[in-house]
Formats: sequence, structure tokens, C-alpha cells
Amino acid sequence: MIEFRNVSKTYSTGSEVIHNANFKIEKGEFAFLIGASGSGKSTIIKLILKEENPTSGKIIINGKDTTNLKPSKIPYLRRSMGIVFQDFRLLPDRNVYENVAFAMHVVKATPRHIKRQVPMVLSQVGLADKAKKFPNELSGGEQQRVALARAIVNNPSMLIADEPTGNLDPNTAWDIMELLNEINLRGTTVLVATHAKDIVDRMNKRVIQIDGGNIIRDKKGGYDSEI
Amino acid sequence: MRFNSIGYMISEGFKSFFKQKKMTSASIIIMCATMFMFGIFYLIGENVNFAMSQLEGEQGIRVMIKDGATDSEIEKLKVDIQAIDGVSTVTFVSKSEALATVKSWISGSSDSEDLLDGYEEDNPFPASYFVTLTDLNKNSEVQEKIKALDNVSDLSTNNDVITKLATLARTIQIITLVLLLILVAISIFIIAYTIKLTVYARRREISIMKYVGATNGFIRGPFIVEGIIIGIVSALITLIIIGFAYNAVLTKMMSSAVMQSISISLYTFKALFARVLIVYLILGIGIGTLGSTISMNKYLKV
Repeated sequence: MIEFRNVSKTYSTGSEVIHNANFKIEKGEFAFLIGASGSGKSTIIKLILKEENPTSGKIIINGKDTTNLKPSKIPYLRRSMGIVFQDFRLLPDRNVYENVAFAMHVVKATPRHIKRQVPMVLSQVGLADKAKKFPNELSGGEQQRVALARAIVNNPSMLIADEPTGNLDPNTAWDIMELLNEINLRGTTVLVATHAKDIVDRMNKRVIQIDGGNIIRDKKGGYDSEI
Repeated sequence: MRFNSIGYMISEGFKSFFKQKKMTSASIIIMCATMFMFGIFYLIGENVNFAMSQLEGEQGIRVMIKDGATDSEIEKLKVDIQAIDGVSTVTFVSKSEALATVKSWISGSSDSEDLLDGYEEDNPFPASYFVTLTDLNKNSEVQEKIKALDNVSDLSTNNDVITKLATLARTIQIITLVLLLILVAISIFIIAYTIKLTVYARRREISIMKYVGATNGFIRGPFIVEGIIIGIVSALITLIIIGFAYNAVLTKMMSSAVMQSISISLYTFKALFARVLIVYLILGIGIGTLGSTISMNKYLKV
């Protein structure tokens, strides 16, 4: 599903942020990507999204080498992934329904499909009754649910979450994690970049730990399990 | 591309057109002003061309035929003149016709009425060809060629009017062209700037669109629609303003003594409407598309 083969990334400033990374996330897996700020987590996410290109090595997504993917094909690569960010990234001038429907317009879904799909996804994340609300009328947890609904509305095969609970209090954060787990149980591959220790410990899933650009651990367990 | 996504782009384009009120109205005003200036010269140019086409029928070259030329030589001369590029019609005027014409000019003044009596026997007026042109610009060229032919004794022509008109027409054409270029440059810049502000205001939306897998064409669509709307609205507003302005000026000119003394008619705006509309719409849509396309490229690299 997501495979890194000897991937290194050096930015034009000359600093190497990823050094020879190797890992493979299988279809249907749930994995955490952990590490301190500046460890290279975000770069790994950017490489998966093909926002950045690796300096060397190969990145294989859904069995396809994306290293030499043409820029015009990137949108189609991204349609296979749902993406969630720490800051939710909702459109403030559109209500919940429109924010989710927006992602479907973008992939040119039919109006009928949109009308059927959006309410279904909203009820899946527990926001069926808030469709008409605007983002500033929602709590942080609710906003992240909208973002989650938007990420899964097009049925992507994988979900990438970059610090999804970074702006949330612990209880709300846990709700979001349970939702992510639910989505995973329906067959979607989930990769969560985080440094929320308690959550990682509690979920007890596969953990890929990165430090100074090197992957220093890749196995099931808690945040601080012995390397 | 499915129909509903085109519909989506158009509705998004309209929404943003109305959201950015200040900037869109500013760019519409500037576009209208430049289009208006261009329009003035365009209309003058059209009218000068119109006037020239009216004068072309009247302005011609009189080719005096040498006395003593035989009928077959005269006939050959006609064929030779007609073969020259730029010649429209060649009409023969015989010696007696020439005399009759001159007599008719004189007959107005009673005391000299019989001045030309008796010339029938020894007619001093030469036979001639009256040559009209398809294009006044070719006047001097045609004259040179006729002069070189046999049996031509002299040419008489209203060179002054012809060259002046031709120069005027060319000057106006050049001014119109230069103005057009300036208009296009200014308008593209203005629209690009307006769209850039919209793009900037919506950069968040654009980045989200990129992340959920929107193609560049899909993202660009609404902005191009917005640019086109600005272009079309400016074109229509300018069309109305210039229509009224033109009719007002036309009425004044037609009632002036100068215009009444010469027999040249000008276009009514009605006659020019379709032409101006098409020119403006092409300009508006072209500039709108180009301006918004230019402004987008930077923001599409996510």
C-alpha cells in the first residue's frame, strides 16, 4: 500500500531530513508515525502526498512507483488518499455539508451521488444534525470530524492524518482516534503522524519512530517501548 | 469534462465575481476606460474607411488620349489600363462628349454661352478614359503605370484629396492598433491582478482542493470564468456608453455646416453595433482568459 525503499530527502538548503528510510504499510493496516518536532515526520507525509519528491530512493503507493509520476497525474494519486491536518483546514464560509460536498465536487461526482453520500458520511462521524452549521459554530473536535468526513467521503483506500489531535483536548482526541480506528476496521489503511504519547500507548498499534531523519523503530507497541 | 462540473465552475466564478466587489468594480472601470479609448479610434477608423469607400467611386484618374491615336490603339489602351492592379472601372469619354461637358459647365453664365460655338469642327478637347480605383492607396502606383503606356498625353487627378485621405486612414489604423496593444496589455495586467487577489483570498481553498485531488484545470476553471465575466461585463458597459456618446457626436456633426456641404455620409451606431459588439466581446473574453490564466500558475504548485 505505502512503501518506502531507501528514501532520502535533502532540501535545497542542504539539510538532510530523511536518511535512507525503509518501511512498508500493508493494506488495511493501522500505523503511527511518531517523533519529536523536526524529526522528519512531516516530510514523510509530504513525500507520500507527493508534495515533495525524494532526493533518492523509491516510494510505492498502491503498487505504483510514484517517483517519476507526472505532475498532471498527482491529483489522481491523491484521490486514493484521504488527508486530515492538525488545523482541520475547513472552509470558513461554507457549512458542514458544503465542506464535505466540496471534496466530491472536486472529483466531479454527480449531484445525486453527492446528495446520497454526504449525509451518510456525516452520520458516520456523528455530525448528522450539524450539517447546516458553519465551522466557527463547532468545537475543535467537531471540526476535526468534519475534516475526517471530508477525507473519507470519496472512499479513499488510505487515510493520512498529520497530527490530527494536536489541537484537541485529551478526551476529544480520543474520540477522534476511535473514529480513525473505526474507519480502519472498515478496511481503510490508516497512517497517523503524532506525538501524543498517551494515545499511541493506549491504541497499541504498529509504531514507526523517526528521529533525526532516521527510522529508529518499527514495531507494535507504545510510544516509549524499548527500541 | 462532465456538464455538472462546468456548471460548478461557472457558479463558483459568479460567486467570486460578486464577492470581490471592490476589486472587480475597479478592474471593470479601468477596462471600460481603456476599451472606450480604443473604441473611439476604432469608430473613427471605420468611418474614415467608409468615407474613403464613398470617395473611391468619385475620385479617379482622367487619362487624356493623344490626338491622332487610331481606334484600335485607343481600344488597346483600355485593355492595358484595365490590366493594371488596383483599377476598378475604365470609362471612355469621346472628344465630342468632352466638349459637351465643358459647354454644359459654361452654359450657366449667360454672356459666355456661345463661347465655344464653332469648336465642333476643330475640337481642342482630347478624348479620355476615366479610371476609378479599387483602392485609393494604389493611386500613385496606378498613375505611374498608366503614364508608361503608349498614346497617353496627360493625366489629371485629384491627387491631394486622395493622398490625404489615404494618409489619414493609415494614421488612424496605426493609432487604433497601438491603442489596442496598450489596451490589451493594461487590461491583462489589471485582470491578472484582480484574479490574483481572489486567488490569494482563496489560497486555502485551493490548497484543500489540491489535497483532495482536484486537477489544475478544475481549480483554474472558476477563476477563468471570473476573468471572462469581468471581460464581458466591461465590454457590454463600454458598448452602451460608447453607443450613446457616438450618437450624440454624430447628431452634432451631421447638423454642422461642414458635413452638410460635403456629400459624405457616416455610419449610424446601429450599423456598427454588431461589429463593435463582436470586437469588444472577443477582446473581453480573450483578455479575461489570458489575465486569469497568468495569475493562477504560481498558486497551483502544491
